[in-house]
Amino acid sequence: MIKITNLSKSYGDTKALDSLSLEIREGSVFGLLGVNGAGKTTLLSILNGLVTQDSGTIDFFGLDMRESKEKVKTLSSIIPQHLAFYENLSVKENLDFFADVQNATQEHYDKAIEVNSLESLLKQKASTLSGGQKRRLNIAIGLLNNPKVIYFDEPTVGIDPKSRNEILDSIKAYKDFGITVVYTSHYMNEIEKICDEVAIISHGKLIEQNSLENLISNRDSEKITLEVIYSDNLKELDMTFINDTIIEIKESELSVTLERLKEAKVSLKSINYGSTDLEKHFLEITGANDV
Amino acid sequence: MMFKAMIKKEFLLVLRDKHALLALFVMPAIFILIMSVAMRDQFTNDSMEFSLYIKDADKSAMSANIVANIEADEKFRLVQNREEAKFIVKIPRRYEKKQKSKIQIDIRDSIKGDEIEAFKAMLLEHLLSARLHSMAKSIEDKSPKASRSLASLEISTDDMYRVRYNSSITIPNSTQQSVPAWIVFGMFFVIIPMSTIYVNERKQNTLARLNSMNVSIFAMGVSKSIPYLFINQIQVLIMLGVGMYLVPLFDTPALEINGSLLALGSISVALSIAAIGISSLIAVSAKSSEQATTIGGILNILLGAIGGVMVPKFIMPPAMQTLTQVSPMSWGLDGFLDIFLKSADLSMILNNVLMLIAFGVLSLIISMIILQIRINRGI
Repeated sequence: MIKITNLSKSYGDTKALDSLSLEIREGSVFGLLGVNGAGKTTLLSILNGLVTQDSGTIDFFGLDMRESKEKVKTLSSIIPQHLAFYENLSVKENLDFFADVQNATQEHYDKAIEVNSLESLLKQKASTLSGGQKRRLNIAIGLLNNPKVIYFDEPTVGIDPKSRNEILDSIKAYKDFGITVVYTSHYMNEIEKICDEVAIISHGKLIEQNSLENLISNRDSEKITLEVIYSDNLKELDMTFINDTIIEIKESELSVTLERLKEAKVSLKSINYGSTDLEKHFLEITGANDV
Repeated sequence: MMFKAMIKKEFLLVLRDKHALLALFVMPAIFILIMSVAMRDQFTNDSMEFSLYIKDADKSAMSANIVANIEADEKFRLVQNREEAKFIVKIPRRYEKKQKSKIQIDIRDSIKGDEIEAFKAMLLEHLLSARLHSMAKSIEDKSPKASRSLASLEISTDDMYRVRYNSSITIPNSTQQSVPAWIVFGMFFVIIPMSTIYVNERKQNTLARLNSMNVSIFAMGVSKSIPYLFINQIQVLIMLGVGMYLVPLFDTPALEINGSLLALGSISVALSIAAIGISSLIAVSAKSSEQATTIGGILNILLGAIGGVMVPKFIMPPAMQTLTQVSPMSWGLDGFLDIFLKSADLSMILNNVLMLIAFGVLSLIISMIILQIRINRGI
């Protein structure tokens, strides 16, 4: 278990983390949610030994982070948001380099390639890879040291849906290897898809930590949101509006609502079956409008 | 293992940077060739070409003697067409008879003063020699012994003076000046690949990633320096080769290494440490590779101009010669020149070597501190 207690970190007058406390269970896929500037990256940097906290403690599977930073670094790995490898080297040269730097074993080297489906790309220059392939290489490098914990800092930014799903599937697979995953993302559906537990932080403080199941079950999971194209006729409809074009209904009311929209000549844009529950909850408790 | 991997990676990245390789190897080689050939005549009278046309109006034995001696002298090139000559020498009528008559020299406008003086000095040798022979002949009957003594006199300014240069100012030929000057300048151009790779690593978070893998800033700095140390030594070997074997193909003096090879290796390594140090400092301080290469390029040119790379130190005014000492390029250049011109051994250039190493190590330490701060701040 990783136990974080009263962690604080300031940059000048700006408090990036403010007495943050949370616990990350061994073997879990832990989602870390927060708006930009909430303190997610600072927390990951401290957890990965890149930055030292001003105060507070981190118990990393029985090791004190301050005293055993070097050891903790060998047991963890960070997958940075930005692609952190050498574009002018081939995939193999990149993997060889980072493997040698960390004294990775052949077994872990092969596993990183296999899990991220990089076998056919080994000779290719990294700069010529597609966005998704680059992300996979970025992740594979983080697996080379066979970490106990992997920190993913928004690993799916700017890639196509197919590659995103492949990456999410591979992250779920790490759980089977016994690796603890700490995952930050702006995409709530990703958190919902892969995480067991979620912590929401805002202004450097923990707002809520709970299992995903509890977070979603606390909400009206039977609710559906309908996105429509704006029309003046909407004003005449007696419905629950989240904003000008989003209507919230119960699942049982769907057919009746669709009929009423048709009669009012309002065009439907999309139907969302509860996937915004986490997002809605997040917006409610952080007061943020944009994630 | 880690160190080996870091060095290998750095080599791969540098060798794939074609622009950097051009700047490191091709640019200084071309500079050496061009500057050695172009400046060939500016550094020494030996290689001045004195083409002259002689109009002999006297047609005497003495004037014939003058023409014959000039024709035999390798320093002169006697031409038959006056348009081809830099100097037109007119021997007046009755020159032999009238001792006070003067030789007239017509000079093309583009000839410099020191070249004219050199020409006049060398011509004087032949005029005096001819006059002596004429005098010897005139007294041959009356005093044959004195006549023989006079006739046997060889007039040569080289035999009349012993020239000693001030030990601190030794004038090189164009190759001796160009080769070390552009070696020094080229070595400092490691700023281009170093800054590009450094900035890319910082931007792409690879430095932070390596730091998260327990790779210390010290290990990063040293492992980055070693490949450039090798590259700098290869530069030196290539540039020396250009000076020794390529430049002579263009009718320009070849580079001769008279000093100790240990001294040459020492100054070369020390200069490389200085170049790597300042390049690291600029690379870690710059926000972008464009900024680093611009600042690095300007700094190199300024250090080169002050340090005697662009303009040889010996033709600078005394105040400027003193100012050259602020440039590490000057410390390196002086070391090379001492080896090439004064057959210096290591003890003679030890001060330069130590100053360069101290400058380089200090710059490296400061750059590592800046890098650590930037990584900690995530910038």
